[in-house]
Amino acid sequence: MENLSYLFVAYAIIFAVIFGYVIFIWRRQAVLEAELRAMEARMRALEEGAGPPQPAARPGS
Amino acid sequence: MSGRGIRLWLGLVTLALMLAALYMIFVYVPTEAEQGIVQRIFYFHVPCALVAFVAFALVAIAGVFYLWLGQQVWDDLGYAAAETGMVFCTLVLVTGSIWAKPIWGAWWTWDSRLTTTLILWLLYGGYLMLRAMAGDSEQGARFGAVVGIVAALDVPIVIVSVRLWRTIHPAVLVTRQGGHGLEDPRMVATLLVSLAAFTTLFIWILCLRFATLRMHTRLGALARSLALAEAAAQDS
Amino acid sequence: MASFAARSFVAVLRKDLLLEVRGGQSTVALGALSLLVLVVLVFAFNPAGGERGAAAAAGALWVALVFSGMLGATRAVSGESENGCIRALLMSPLDRAALYAAKLAAAFIFMAVAEAASIILMVLFFNLEFDLRVMRLAPAVMLGALGFAALATLLAGISSRLRGGDLVLPLLAVPMFVPALIAGVKASAAALAGAPLGEFAVWLKVLVAFDVLFVAAGYLLFEYVAGEE
Repeated sequence: MENLSYLFVAYAIIFAVIFGYVIFIWRRQAVLEAELRAMEARMRALEEGAGPPQPAARPGS
Repeated sequence: MSGRGIRLWLGLVTLALMLAALYMIFVYVPTEAEQGIVQRIFYFHVPCALVAFVAFALVAIAGVFYLWLGQQVWDDLGYAAAETGMVFCTLVLVTGSIWAKPIWGAWWTWDSRLTTTLILWLLYGGYLMLRAMAGDSEQGARFGAVVGIVAALDVPIVIVSVRLWRTIHPAVLVTRQGGHGLEDPRMVATLLVSLAAFTTLFIWILCLRFATLRMHTRLGALARSLALAEAAAQDS
Repeated sequence: MASFAARSFVAVLRKDLLLEVRGGQSTVALGALSLLVLVVLVFAFNPAGGERGAAAAAGALWVALVFSGMLGATRAVSGESENGCIRALLMSPLDRAALYAAKLAAAFIFMAVAEAASIILMVLFFNLEFDLRVMRLAPAVMLGALGFAALATLLAGISSRLRGGDLVLPLLAVPMFVPALIAGVKASAAALAGAPLGEFAVWLKVLVAFDVLFVAAGYLLFEYVAGEE
């Protein structure tokens, strides 16, 4: 059972990196979905012909 | 939302396969005689390497299609593949290094595979750097496609030259490259299950990232047309 | 059509060389940079001469080649975009591939001059002899210069159009150049150590393969790099 710590660290890093990356993607997706909803609101405002147009927002990549 | 459904199923399949692989690696498979328990790193290390290679090949293929057809989908696919490949390539380097320390006695040696993987990592690191600097523009997509293709062309010649370099150079630690002695059929089975787990994991992550980039592209187009429509509404 | 491409190639190359002869500083800057790199590496290695000295000299020579190549390609390509000339060149009926070939030739000529200078400096600084061995360096260094010029001209087309692009060029060019770098350093060290050509022919083959691949890739892909704005 020598070198057990190496094995543990290796697997810990693998899962940390993968989870970290997936969470990063999910957060980005959530940001984009929020932007989509904001844009849909602007679209409705435009169709109703009322409501002050907001400045165009640039989506974060 | 069929795309979302596919991603959900992929995620569940990945989870199941990953749990099976972990069970096999830590419980089922016998400990390798010469290297001891650290050899179990190998069951995740090799799938990571294969997945990274596939991802980088995908970058070049998507680049060719992007330059040929000019559709943004291909660029989104290439970008997603490069980023995902980079994640797995990093894992290959880190786990390889952790494995090498107890087995070879050094975190890093200039073995041909290590060197090749490092150069791959640097190449696609350069690609991602370029994409980050170019921002989301048609130009950035074009440059990314060109660099992705050139990098893939470079890979075979990198492999050949590094191998020649290491064989002509006095060999220090080239015996027992690691993991070729899978005598036990249970080891082979474990490796195959890990490979399956990482294949679905890769496809799942790639789909997630690809979907995010697709949405980003659509939002960009939507934002432009919306701004135009708002300007028109203001004028009237 | 071929004659038009050939004529435009000659015209652009002639222009670049004329500009250089009439007070361009590219070759001077490249030579000076090579000199500096060699001096720094002499400080670092403190070469003793002999076989180890030859290996250190070969390494130093290739480091100088990479640095001067980056500068040379940047000068050849971004000199055009600084004053907006690239737009005029792209609007002209000029073939993009011919433009690439001309820029590649210009970068290669600048590099070759700088390399010749750095070989002389290397012999002086690393206490080697001017003999047949130094002549044997020529094929490896010239093949390396051609390969690096091919690669860097293509990539400079990208980096010159990006804000902060001068950072991107080495990050992309150096890892891609690694195979040629390995082959070139090994071939140069063998040549300086007095090995017969047969012993390092395999490295020259790698260099030739690299050159063919990257000249072809640059020729085909430059169109997309220097596309419309």
